[in-house]
Amino acid sequence: MLRKSVTQSFGAAISSWTTDHLTDTVVRRSKRMMLDTLGVGLLGTSTPVFQTALQYSRKYEAKEKSSVWGRPGLTLPAQYSAFVNGIAVHAMDFDDTWHPATHPSGAVLPALLALAETLPDKPSGLQLLLAFNIGIEVQGRLMRFSNEAQHIPKRFHPPSVVGVMGSTAATSKLLGLSAAQCVEALGIAASYAGAPMANAATQTKPLHIGNATRRGLEASLLALYGLEGNKHILDIDSGFRVFYKDYTPTEITNGMRGGPFRWVLEDQDVAFKRFPAHLGMHWVAEAAAAVREKLLGEDPNFDFGQVRKVTLRVPQSKYIDCPFPKTEHEARHSFQFNGCSALLDGHVSTDSFTDAQIERKTLKDLLLTTQIENPEDNPSNFDKMYCEVQVQTADGRIQTARCDTFYGHWRNPLKQVDLVRKFKANATTVLSLEVAEDIVSIIDDLENIPDCTVLGSCLQTIDQSARGASVCGA
Amino acid sequence: MLRPTYVILFTIWRSSRCAPAFRRLHVSALEVAERLGPEDTVTANFGAFIHGVRPEQLTQKVLRRSQRMVLDSIGVGILGSTTHVFELVLQHCRQMYQMTNDISSVYGRPGTKLSPMLAAFVNGVASHSMDFDDTWHPATHPSGAVLPALLAISDMLPRNSKPSGMDLLMAFNVGIEIQGRLLRFSNEAQNIPKRFHPPTVVGPMGSAAACARLLSLDRIQCSHALAIAASQAGAPMANAATQSKPLHIGNASRQGLEAALLASRGLEASPLVLDSVPGVSGFSAFYEDYVPQLLPCPEEVDPSFLLEEQDMGFKRFPAHLGMHWVADAAASVHKQLVGSHNGNFNPAFIQDILLRIPPSKYINRPFPESEHEARHSFQFNACTALLDGEVTVQSFHPAGLRRPELHTLLSRVRVEHPNDNPANFDRMYAEVLVTLVDGDVLKGRCNTFYGHWRNPLTDNSLQRKFRANAGAVLPSDKVEGLIEIVDSLEQLGDCSPLLAQLQ
Repeated sequence: MLRKSVTQSFGAAISSWTTDHLTDTVVRRSKRMMLDTLGVGLLGTSTPVFQTALQYSRKYEAKEKSSVWGRPGLTLPAQYSAFVNGIAVHAMDFDDTWHPATHPSGAVLPALLALAETLPDKPSGLQLLLAFNIGIEVQGRLMRFSNEAQHIPKRFHPPSVVGVMGSTAATSKLLGLSAAQCVEALGIAASYAGAPMANAATQTKPLHIGNATRRGLEASLLALYGLEGNKHILDIDSGFRVFYKDYTPTEITNGMRGGPFRWVLEDQDVAFKRFPAHLGMHWVAEAAAAVREKLLGEDPNFDFGQVRKVTLRVPQSKYIDCPFPKTEHEARHSFQFNGCSALLDGHVSTDSFTDAQIERKTLKDLLLTTQIENPEDNPSNFDKMYCEVQVQTADGRIQTARCDTFYGHWRNPLKQVDLVRKFKANATTVLSLEVAEDIVSIIDDLENIPDCTVLGSCLQTIDQSARGASVCGA
Repeated sequence: MLRPTYVILFTIWRSSRCAPAFRRLHVSALEVAERLGPEDTVTANFGAFIHGVRPEQLTQKVLRRSQRMVLDSIGVGILGSTTHVFELVLQHCRQMYQMTNDISSVYGRPGTKLSPMLAAFVNGVASHSMDFDDTWHPATHPSGAVLPALLAISDMLPRNSKPSGMDLLMAFNVGIEIQGRLLRFSNEAQNIPKRFHPPTVVGPMGSAAACARLLSLDRIQCSHALAIAASQAGAPMANAATQSKPLHIGNASRQGLEAALLASRGLEASPLVLDSVPGVSGFSAFYEDYVPQLLPCPEEVDPSFLLEEQDMGFKRFPAHLGMHWVADAAASVHKQLVGSHNGNFNPAFIQDILLRIPPSKYINRPFPESEHEARHSFQFNACTALLDGEVTVQSFHPAGLRRPELHTLLSRVRVEHPNDNPANFDRMYAEVLVTLVDGDVLKGRCNTFYGHWRNPLTDNSLQRKFRANAGAVLPSDKVEGLIEIVDSLEQLGDCSPLLAQLQ
């Protein structure tokens, strides 16, 4: 027999990880990820792409129903609610980002919650936490199989590559699949992986997460029904490897057979965004805001119409280099737009991407003066990049600021109070404050919650009439 | 009761049919009106082609060839409805998506209906479930990705507004043409695939194009449909020769349909997905080399359909295309063996079997363990043809897979990859050399098997294949009915009779 295959080790790990393996750090970090994901998802239900996907998905009904977030009483077959909720999570590029780069939670949580609602025995909060972390872990492991994954992507959008694998791992766990079935699920899921980068910065990008989460669930269900794929999908050249130029898979030792086991999340935290735009924008926004402070410090009445030149020193990455974005999607993927917005306003926020803000003349004028430089020492890598903003004024003054690590990056994580504030700001666009606070409490105590589908009920409760009592029955 | 969605789609479809000159204005078109001009991006050019090509531009040859493809595809699909993998996905769809008003037919299952996307899915799975469906050059299985989605839409449209046979044929040909064009954007696509399974790369695009055409989307929506589909494209080769392979075609069909439906609701995606943009991969992500080219504008010049120049290969037995060469070569050796021993041929006479075949890992399997692997095994198909003189549907049944005399022969097989035998369906050959215990060496060689595009199946042979396939499930009046209907499809005013015979 050949050496133990990587695929087999993944199947064994997924099926045999238990809640005992969860550490405090991992539980704490993953709860923050869940909270952030729910918040951005609720906010995302207001977007046109969500509406389109929902309209489309409403053609389908099923006996087993799962909740659509932010839509009281509206249920869909599990796969379609996973689809639309996943789209909501990524609709505004506001969801978490990891290193190596992907958006891990949106690919996992929607499918898990949708699946949980259809199971006859509802999983507990702790079971949800375990399945969630398995979905995250598998993504993290897969991304460490190549050097290519370390850099800002150019070919395949990472959530579409690893996201579906994470989703199938997580849902396989919740379904209680055997090790062999988990192997098949991974094989089946791989055939759904891979979408090109070109659809980033378009309205279709959120579907990459929506599809990842729903197809992973589908792969698990098909495996449960006995469908087989290639049992060596992670090992052989014609398998998962096809998505990468370099690829060296390694087994998981889950700590039960001698080798020590550490969750990737233990050693590598995620980044949470403070405004809904591509991660790279966060560096440039901070640096630009700092330059603005300096300019106003020198002259409180500084008129930004007096700017002659803006130089952004950023890593090279074509899909986020957009000098004159025309849509909100392009604007969320534009160093220039975010730099100039932060120069004008002191910050970038959810409101920065409305049509009115995109169209304002002061911004467009500033964009005309903006140039990009790609210094050699600025790698296309979210762990190592920086942004420098330099502004030259009409009267010859120059101000520069640099950001190495924005607030929210994994090296400088959002404080819990700020994470909760972000969540509440997002969630209360759809839910009442009481319900939003209930969700915060539920997540905070998730490992003690007996039935995790209480979250689904909360996500649909937008009625404000019940005040003072817990509206979700938690 | 008509579901609101279908009313919308029907309205879009009908308004386009009744008033072809009238430009429907909607938000996207208004935005794009500023950019009207020559289609200088490949993506926009493809959208314009899908939208603007006219039925009159289909030549007789293309019509006839595509009708043969439709017939073969239906036949293999109906036979495929008897397979285990089909049953599995059907159960899955019924379990997970019980719609109260399911309307699209499932091959070979009277009274069973699913939602259009799921019907496209399961029927696509059926089409590829036995690797019996058509194969083109450059390599892909074009029809199974397109026809199920088109039939599903046709079922979905209201009774008094069904597409005509010509509408169906036109959309079908658009779906085939788009796949063929995309396959010509790279050298990589010319050879037997190693990385991505081609039906998963070009199949969703063909399905999206065909569905966009049948739904009469405008040219911008057609482009977006392609781009949305691209985000679903691409599955690794590893799942070929497994039970999941048929899902590659099933998914291609339904994902293309979904892309077209989403585009019809206004979803937008990359306007450069087919173009070559350095640093940001679109459809180019799936190829190592990629050079896209524009299509002729159908409003200005009659396009030349690829099917005119490059015919389709149809299989005579349900196995990977490469198996057909080796089966023909081995069959000729069988004939020699039987002839020289007065009909008393004993496999024990065989000492050694040498196969000279192109190098291709996923079809080189000395001891296949499942029917899926057997369909992708040069060795299995050669030995079966040596024993029986042919390979048939039954060769892959459990009895055919497990017989001891076959295993004996398999253990005597060696394989060589001559330098002049490329992994390319247009140029490969197969040679079978059998050494007998008495020292004689018998040789068979096949350059072009019967059914290959260079040596196409006659209409009689194609119909015989269809009767054997469809007849395994449908009553003979429906079988003959389908043959007749497809034969005069371009004259059919309403495709309902076609739809009615599929169950």
